[in-house]
Amino acid sequence: MSTPKITIRDLAVEYVSEERRERHIAIEGLSLDILENEFLCVAGPSGCGKSTLISAIAGFLKPRAGSLLLDGQPILAPGADRGVVFQEYALLPWRTVIENVALGLKLRGMPKAERHRIAQRFLTITNLTEAAEKYPHELSGGMKQRVAVARTLANTPQVMLMDEPFAAVDAQTRMTLQEELIRIWEQSRVTVLFVTHSVEEAVFLGDRVAVLSPRPARLKEIVAVNIPRARRTWEQMNTDPEFIALRDRVLQLVRGGGNGS
Amino acid sequence: MVVRKRVILVIYALLVALMLITLFPLVWLLLLSLKSELEAFAYPPLLVFKPKLVNFLALLSSESFMRSFANSFIIATGTVALAMVVGVPAAYGISRGTRRFRQHVLVWALITRMAPGMIYIIPFFVLYVKVGLIDTRFGLMLIYLIFTLPLVLWTMTMFFDEVPKTLEEAAKVDGAGIFQSFFRVILPLAAPGLGATAILCFIFAWNEFLFALILARRDAIPAPVAIVNFMAFEGTEWGKVAASGIFILLPVLLFSLVIRKYLVKGLMGGAIKG
Repeated sequence: MSTPKITIRDLAVEYVSEERRERHIAIEGLSLDILENEFLCVAGPSGCGKSTLISAIAGFLKPRAGSLLLDGQPILAPGADRGVVFQEYALLPWRTVIENVALGLKLRGMPKAERHRIAQRFLTITNLTEAAEKYPHELSGGMKQRVAVARTLANTPQVMLMDEPFAAVDAQTRMTLQEELIRIWEQSRVTVLFVTHSVEEAVFLGDRVAVLSPRPARLKEIVAVNIPRARRTWEQMNTDPEFIALRDRVLQLVRGGGNGS
Repeated sequence: MVVRKRVILVIYALLVALMLITLFPLVWLLLLSLKSELEAFAYPPLLVFKPKLVNFLALLSSESFMRSFANSFIIATGTVALAMVVGVPAAYGISRGTRRFRQHVLVWALITRMAPGMIYIIPFFVLYVKVGLIDTRFGLMLIYLIFTLPLVLWTMTMFFDEVPKTLEEAAKVDGAGIFQSFFRVILPLAAPGLGATAILCFIFAWNEFLFALILARRDAIPAPVAIVNFMAFEGTEWGKVAASGIFILLPVLLFSLVIRKYLVKGLMGGAIKG
């Protein structure tokens, strides 16, 4: 983990709000490197443009200025090399779990037997083997989000972008999902950009935590989290002095301390 | 409590009265279609009589009426197909377009419907005679497109607005192109809307009378116009008129039953949030 996978330089992104169709500057002058195979969390105050950053990297939004590179190549449009896990799951209601997971492979024209074999593998990783033939409406929120993760991973993306994926599930489920995500991630080691408004979540999951300023977002500080993965369970972290110190530091940064702004 | 009960009672009474008023002509039509010619003209009207299928049998054996019935079916189905093929992708474009574009297109589409049909008839008659579309089923389909297209645009735009943006974005991330995501993700999500819209278009084309009367002369005559032919110089064959009325009503009735299923069923459940 040393070469940058995604390079963001002086990025500026405008956001057009859906209802009133007004333009806002969501991000301005943001520079950040996402390293190969790292788990980078982005934390910042609500509405600071974190989701906009995901949209820009995914290719849904065109930057107004600055550059956005994946492996040195400019990002121009959405593509299967950047998987996105949405807060709203985005599963197709009329397809079973396994069909949802295999959807991206199907769109690429992979034969059924092969794509189901691959999908099955990712269902095993995400502990969903039992639910393979169920429909999304039969699943709990936590399970749906695991399906969404499996679906994204099945496409073997180079980068997984996660946009507050656990924000809609209850607190207990969220903790379980966070622990599971670490376990799943250790098996794939895909580069992850994880956006969250929860400071605890960011410190718990990330190798590094990038803290953004209020809108328009720019990088405030990067905090490295050197707690070994093996120790990262909530049972241990709740009382771990290192974790608590880091959490408090990030919290302070998010709430406005740290630099002059 | 008592007052509320009384209010509910009054409302029910009004509803029943309204239903009777609505259904009376239909019941009358049904009775008439089952009477012989003599019974049909009896005064006071016979309420108890032995139902006969003679009028229906006459219709079924009438080649010209059966051909008009087939015409109706072909024209209505063709109109639905044309309107959907043209209107559905257009509605998607409107739904995803800019606000200004959307307002202009939708309002202008509606204005074509607001103008009374009589305005178009004479020019279209002259035009159709010149280009050879007079008395053709395709000619009628094209005219009906004018009326059904705004319907498709308005309803389908609303349905496409409801399709969550994330599902589309997820499809793009999965590597779907614009056509793939349209056919595999967006269209299935808008399926209830597609069904309802198609049926509304069908009913319109099926029931249309004015344009068919003027623009169809012999070969392309649909069923509603064929009824008029039972009102001839020698007298009106009321039994046949009634029977063909019931005949024409049946498909619409069937489709209306299907519509309910489509409209009630919300396919969106589970797509977004819990």
